Amino acid sequence: MALLEIKGLNTGYGDLRILRDISMEVNEGEIVALLGSNGAGKSTLMRTIVGLQRTWSGEVGMGGKSITNASSGTIVKSGISIVPEGRRLFAGMTVAENLEMGAYCNRKDIKHRIDKIFQDFPRLYERRNHLAGDLSGGEQQMCAVGRALMNEPRVLLIDEFSLGLAPTVVDALTEVVYEINRRGVSILIVEQDVQMVLEISSRAYVMEVGAITLSGDSKELLGNSKIKEAYLGLE
Amino acid sequence: MIVLQILINGLLLGAFYALIGIGFSLVWGVTNIINLAHGAIALLGAYLTFFMFQQWHVDPFLTIPVSFTVMFIVGYMLQRYLMNLVVKAQIFILLILTFGLEIFLVNFMTTFFSADFRSVTPDYAGHSLILGDIVIPYIRMAVFFICVAAAALMALFLDKTWQGKAIRATSLDIEAAMMTGISPAKIYALTFAIGSGVAGVAGTLLTLTQAFSPNIAGGLTLRAFIVSILGGLGRVEGALLGGLVLGVLETFSSYIVGESYKNAIAFGLMVLVLIVKPSGLMGRKYYAEVKH
Repeated sequence: MALLEIKGLNTGYGDLRILRDISMEVNEGEIVALLGSNGAGKSTLMRTIVGLQRTWSGEVGMGGKSITNASSGTIVKSGISIVPEGRRLFAGMTVAENLEMGAYCNRKDIKHRIDKIFQDFPRLYERRNHLAGDLSGGEQQMCAVGRALMNEPRVLLIDEFSLGLAPTVVDALTEVVYEINRRGVSILIVEQDVQMVLEISSRAYVMEVGAITLSGDSKELLGNSKIKEAYLGLE
Repeated sequence: MIVLQILINGLLLGAFYALIGIGFSLVWGVTNIINLAHGAIALLGAYLTFFMFQQWHVDPFLTIPVSFTVMFIVGYMLQRYLMNLVVKAQIFILLILTFGLEIFLVNFMTTFFSADFRSVTPDYAGHSLILGDIVIPYIRMAVFFICVAAAALMALFLDKTWQGKAIRATSLDIEAAMMTGISPAKIYALTFAIGSGVAGVAGTLLTLTQAFSPNIAGGLTLRAFIVSILGGLGRVEGALLGGLVLGVLETFSSYIVGESYKNAIAFGLMVLVLIVKPSGLMGRKYYAEVKH
């Protein structure tokens, strides 16, 4: 069943249309990949889903309810969290405070959830009283994932999370994404590392200049000649 | 001995400057609005106290919660239904808006409350603590402690409560704040409300320490501005330190080089701080890295 559903979505900045008639869905328990070159509109789509960008037309639905142009609070409460591009932690707040802010709309039992995050990321526990801005890139990414999980989302959006991180760190984080998914959280992931993301996802959408041009089963897309050529550098 | 007396006078004055600066600095640091009407808002608090004292003989100290509450509500309304409409505009537009608000409020007060200098003098006004050559009026001492306590409460609020943390989060990264479900419009309104409420309290305390008229609004805003720059934006401890430094500097310069130079010296110090340490004496890492 479709959990997050986008129908005929259009949006842009000023007069400039960026997204054209985007329709896609993320089902319960899935990992869905969103591929495309720079400027294809992947991040704009993510921003629109979480309400940072207004929808011109079309529908965004979550769990059967419309969240089109809803307030940020409503969207977060509907069960959507994001690990944004560039991590966007509250640099001047401690790691623990960042995690707390993730639970801003879902404050019950917060202590228990923070402990759970610290169990998943022991490194964050060690750094809990440090300012988030002082962490290394990998630690910041863990903190961003932790902050998003504090909301106990049903759909987790992950935008470019390997950007600027060491390969070993990316591997560890990929493991984490897998684990989060196993616990029942659906994931929509935007990622430059196409090989990796097609391996962990079950379905994928490919975007080009603001429209979805290709979609399907990730395993099939891995074998698709167009994908191989455009994104994997294979002949 | 006179040096010690001047130092004490400076600290007593400085705590008041800190209080007037805290709200201004918070609003600036969080919403990016340089609120030129801050002094006028403080004066509204002062008139509230003045009229309550004149009409019903309410002790000025007891009017503190009234000033806070009334100015909190006024501030909330102003931000929610006026400033929020243009908050994304360029800083110049916001300056013009708050400048206009300043002119409106000052003329409003002049029309309805007259341009006369007013003061509030409860029975206990003349009493002082005398230690050898040092004289400390009890009222000023009380004002000092209330200012410091208010600053401490404010710091605690920003550090420990959900709303306080949401204010800090919004000032650090407004979009990231939205991603956690915070509504910036509400946080802006709350921030402006708190800034105005604290200004109202400062206005109440002002009535106890000096005579005032609508025309001193600009001077108060100016002090708040200097305090914010000295201490570092959006930080309560910074505003407290900035206020104390400004108070001591003003009293000493008045004594040494004369009253008429105190503004020049205060501004000189501000420029010096901006050159040497643009983030202010206590600028906090990652906060209020001056935008625009």
